[in-house]
Formats: sequence, C-alpha cells, structure tokens
Amino acid sequence: MRLSEIIRLVWLNLSQNKFKVVLTSVGIIVGSATIMLVLAIGTGSREEVAEQFKNLNAGAIDVTYGGEAQSGGGSDWFSSMFSFGGGEMPSFGGDGGSGMPSFGGGMPSFGGGSGGMPSFGGSSGGGMPSFGGGSGSGRSSGGSRSSSGGSGMPSFGGFGGGSNGDDLILTQADCDLLMEEVDGITDATISYTTTTSVEGGDLSSATYYTIAGVLDNYAQISNLSMAIGSFLTQENDESKEKVCVLGANVATEIFGSAYAAYDGIVYIDDRPYVVSGVLEEMGTVASGISPDTAIFIPYQTGIKYVTGESIRPTITVIAADVNNVSAVMEDVNAVLEETYEGSAFGLSDAGSKMEAATTSNQTLTLLLYSMAAIVFIVGGIGIMNVLFVSVKERTNEIGILKALGCSRKDILMEFLLEASCISFVGACIGVLLSLGITPAVELFHVRVSLSAQGAMLSLVFGVITGTVFGFYPAYKASRLVPVVALNQE
Amino acid sequence: MAMIEMRGINKGYMLGEERLPILKNVDFSVEKGEYVAILGPSGSGKTTFMNIIGCMDVMDSGEYYLDGVAIHETKERDLTEIRNKKIGFIFQNYQLIPTYNVMQNIIMPLLMRGMSHQDAETRCLETVRLLGLDQRVEHKPNELSGGQKQRVSIARALVGQPAILLADEPTGALDQTSGKEVLKLFSEINEMGNTIVMITHDLSVAKTAKRIVRIVDGQLME
Repeated sequence: MRLSEIIRLVWLNLSQNKFKVVLTSVGIIVGSATIMLVLAIGTGSREEVAEQFKNLNAGAIDVTYGGEAQSGGGSDWFSSMFSFGGGEMPSFGGDGGSGMPSFGGGMPSFGGGSGGMPSFGGSSGGGMPSFGGGSGSGRSSGGSRSSSGGSGMPSFGGFGGGSNGDDLILTQADCDLLMEEVDGITDATISYTTTTSVEGGDLSSATYYTIAGVLDNYAQISNLSMAIGSFLTQENDESKEKVCVLGANVATEIFGSAYAAYDGIVYIDDRPYVVSGVLEEMGTVASGISPDTAIFIPYQTGIKYVTGESIRPTITVIAADVNNVSAVMEDVNAVLEETYEGSAFGLSDAGSKMEAATTSNQTLTLLLYSMAAIVFIVGGIGIMNVLFVSVKERTNEIGILKALGCSRKDILMEFLLEASCISFVGACIGVLLSLGITPAVELFHVRVSLSAQGAMLSLVFGVITGTVFGFYPAYKASRLVPVVALNQE
Repeated sequence: MAMIEMRGINKGYMLGEERLPILKNVDFSVEKGEYVAILGPSGSGKTTFMNIIGCMDVMDSGEYYLDGVAIHETKERDLTEIRNKKIGFIFQNYQLIPTYNVMQNIIMPLLMRGMSHQDAETRCLETVRLLGLDQRVEHKPNELSGGQKQRVSIARALVGQPAILLADEPTGALDQTSGKEVLKLFSEINEMGNTIVMITHDLSVAKTAKRIVRIVDGQLME
C-alpha cells in the first residue's frame, strides 16, 4: 500500500476517535511539557550563571587577608578590641577628617586627623610605632607599607611579637608588589566595601548602601560598562575627590533614572559627592561587589572620608593565561607570605567559582533530565497499553484487512503511524501546555528560558517515545493470524 | 488446469493431546467460470474448508493449486498477495470496516495493490453502479441495510477482478428478499464469467449454484 494511503487511513481512524487520541497522549503531553520546561529551566539557570559571572574575568584571582595566621604572643582580645584603624571601627585616621572624631562602631580608634583631635597616626603613615610585636613580621597597613593608604595608623594587633594577627590590611603597595614580583599577571586592583548612609536625590531619608572603594582600573577588570558618564579616574583617587559612580539600581532608586543621576549630588556619610557616571545594569553577580546596588568611590577618598583604615580590602589580580591560574595563585601566595611572614591569605579564582557553579548547574540539569526521562517512559507505557487495547478492539478489522490482502508491513506501518501521530499530537499539546505553565513557574522566581530548539526537541522526543512504545502493539497486530483475527468478536 | 485443484487435503485441530480431524483426505476441483455450492450442516468442516481455499488457513497435508499457483508451497507473505489478487471474499456478516464509508471499504483491495485513492475510486465506479450503490458511497456501514451491506461486500470482492469469489453463507444474515437479490446477483456475476465458490447450509440457496458439493463429516461428496 502506498504510504500516502496508509497516512490517509491513519488520519481517518484518528479523526474518528479524537477523544481516545487525547486520552492516549496524556503521558506524552506531560512528558513533552516536562522536557520543554526542563530545557527552559536548564537554559535559564545556565543564563543566570553566565549573567552572574559576566563581570568576572576567568583569570581573576581574589586575594584577601585570611586571618588564619597565627597571632604572635600577644593577646588577641586586645588586638580585636584595640585594632586602631582596622575592622569596622570608625577611624580617626585621615588628614581631612571632620573636626570631631567619629565614635561610630562602639570603640574609638586613634588615627590621625587634621581636625580638632590630635593625630596619633599621621597622614603619611607609620607615625605610630607598632605595638604588634617585636618580630616585625606583622606588618600593618598602617605601617610603612601602607603609606599609600593615607592615614597611617599603626596596628596594635598581636602583642608580643610573632605574626600580625587580624589587623593586617592589604594595600595598594601590595598590589604593586604583586605586579612586580609575580609573572603572568596582566593587571591588579584593590577594593573594599562598607555600608553607610546615603542621602540626596529623591530619597526622603538616609538609606544605607554598599559603598565600594575602588581604583580606576576596577571597571575594566570587572567588565563594567557605563550607561552614562565615565568611571572613576586615577586623578580622582590621588586627589581624594568626592566623586562617585552609581550602580544602575542605586541611580534609579535615588534619582529615578541614570540620566537624572548623572552630575547629581549624593551625600555619603553627610558629605557631598558628585555623580560622575552611572553603570549599565549588570544583574546579579556570583561573588564580589554587586555593581547594580553599589556606589563606587575612589579608593583613597573612601579611606579618607568614609572608612578610615577600618577596611578589609581585596586585591584582584588578573592572570594573563587562564590555564595558568593555579601557578599564578601559588606565586601570589608565596610573595605575600614572604612579605608577611606567618600570615595566611585567602585566594580564590573566578574560574573555580565558575566551574563549581557550572558543575552544580549541570547536576541540576541532569536531575531534571532524569525526571523528564521517567515521565516519558511512563507516558510511553501508557501509549503502549492503550495501543494494545486498540489492537484488541480492532482485531476483527485487522482480520478483514488481512483477508483482503493487506501485508504485515502495511499493518505494522499503519499502527506505528497511528502511535506516532498520537505522540505528535500529544507532544504539540505538551509544548503548548508548557507555554501556559511558564508564567506560573516564573512566579516561584525560577528563570525559564523557552526556546524553539527546546520545543523541537520535546516534539522529537515525544514522537520517538510514542513510536518506540507503539512498535510492540503494532508488531503484534501485524502478526495476527487472519482467520483467528477475522473470527474475533 | 482447473482454477482450483486440491488433492488429499487433511486438516485437524488439537483438542488437548488428541487430534480432531476436520477435513479428511479431500479432493476437490473447480473449473474456471464455475458456480459451485458447498453444502453442509454446522460442524461439517465447510468453514475450515473455505478458509483453506481462501488461503487464510493452512492444511496439514495435501496439495492445493489455485490458478496454477502451488499454494501448499507458498509462504505467508506471498499468500497475502494471492488473497489480494486472486480471491474475493464475501462473508456472512459482511466484515465491513465500520469507520470507513462505502467507497473506502470497496476500494481497500485496490489500495493494497498500491493503487492511488483516486485511481481506485475511478476504477470501482462501474462496480458500484452494477451493485446499485451509487447513492450510498458516502454512507457508513451502520447506515445501510443488511442487503446493502452485503452488496458492498460483493462490490469489494469484485472490484479487484479476482480469479475466484468465495462466499461464506452470503445470505445467512439477510431476510428472504435481500437474500434472493444477492443470489440473483451471484448468478449474474457468474454469467459474466466469474468463478464462484459458495458455502451454505441451506439447500435452497445451494440450488441457485450450477454445481452442488456436499460436505459431510469432513469428506466431500458430489
């Protein structure tokens, strides 16, 4: 029999049993909808991971002072209580401080200040001797190496000699040192964050925002792009200018739009800052500073006016070769450990984070695929059962066809095509169903990224499943003995 | 050679471990253009005999030649083609496919030969007219009377111009008037040169045939 005629007969049979077709295909409908959503959720989560990592350079290595280093013989409680210039204590340091010291944070710190209080530090740093211990291994950022840090408040951490304790603060000098000493680094930057109150624009009251002190190269290293204006410059940093760059969400929240924010004034810790630019919306990020919700200010400006020395900065170095990140990490660690003997540093690379997130994502996707496969198998078994019943019901018809000279091949083909068509109809309904379900899934904050490819794949899988599971009943039908089939009531 | 030539046909069924013989050493022949009635009571083996003639069942032993083809040596795959091209079946209970309309039922044997739908419809128009089904081609079997259904069945058997027409109790499910019409039709078809083998238990029906063969207890008697 011609294929076109078999298809015509299949159509004839199916069109006269529409309800049966829909009921038979329920399994495939669910299976197809599942696989479509699985693909969409898988793709959505991949996109989300990619978006979270889009401002991360694959060769980026973050270095922080770990604090795991052994403290010297000194008392830790003292260092924690009197860590002048460190931790979250407001600092007296800085030469341009307000007239009165800030007591925020509970404990005073005694840094320098050109205001009304005498400075114990000195803006050049190193003005105060370190009580950190005699070995000198616990260099403080307030010490000589922190000269670029401005308010050079010495560290009192770690009495009794030995290593630094918890008060070591990485500085721009460490950044420069790494650039000089470690091969295979293309760039390095240092940044820190704090949270402080911000006023201005449309804000009716002071609101707390993340303030990030960064260098001019931070935007390039973090792949940030500007919506309007320009990023912070080296000159801004050196002159400790009160300028800032707003994240997209911050700009919208404070001024209503990026355009309105540009050249506006925001008050950070009661000091006016000119908005020199607004970032493009970057979305959520996997780690580090979330650019959309942060206000970026020059590194030194932040130390001078906002944080003092009470910062815990992160140095970010960029490995030239992403395949050589491990070696660079080892070198960075070695240089820092040599410089700060006995100290431990936390190093993490963006590649590992990406890999971990990707692996986790793959596991999730695999799990979802497994679920879809199970649903398909169940759906396929459903089709097989219904087709068996159908063959049983139509045994007499098969007998007639055989008596009239219909070949086994034609009967097999007819039943197989029926199974395929039922599956196809089911798969189409499943795809449509998934489109309907998607908004409901998105209500649970699951990112669903529907695609034509996903729809095609679920159609193909649906048809294949139905056809595979429909084969056995079709085969049984084709093997019926004519005289037996014909006499079947 | 005769249209049907059977020698020493034996057929039986197993009942548990015991073999129940149905046909016993049957010899039978039908010449081209003959109209033969096989007459026998229920359980005499006439349906089994017809199934063997119609190549729907296999004999245990014996030789069977249909239009020169050695059926006893033919495989199932080839028997399908023989059923399609050489045999036209007319069943007691019509055996029409309920989901197809009259035309679709009639053209089925032609479609199975690889003919297109349109060619098959064109070809069967004359047969449809001959059997007075012109106005019924779009109807489903459940919209027809018994006599009309049997005429559809006859049309389906005739449309492929087979070597023989095999009719199993063709008037068994019909009223007297419709039965007579069908038998008249058989005579006309036979007059046109078609070979007909009819199986019946009714002597009055058998008498419309030109030759009567009795089957009793699995054996044939002229």
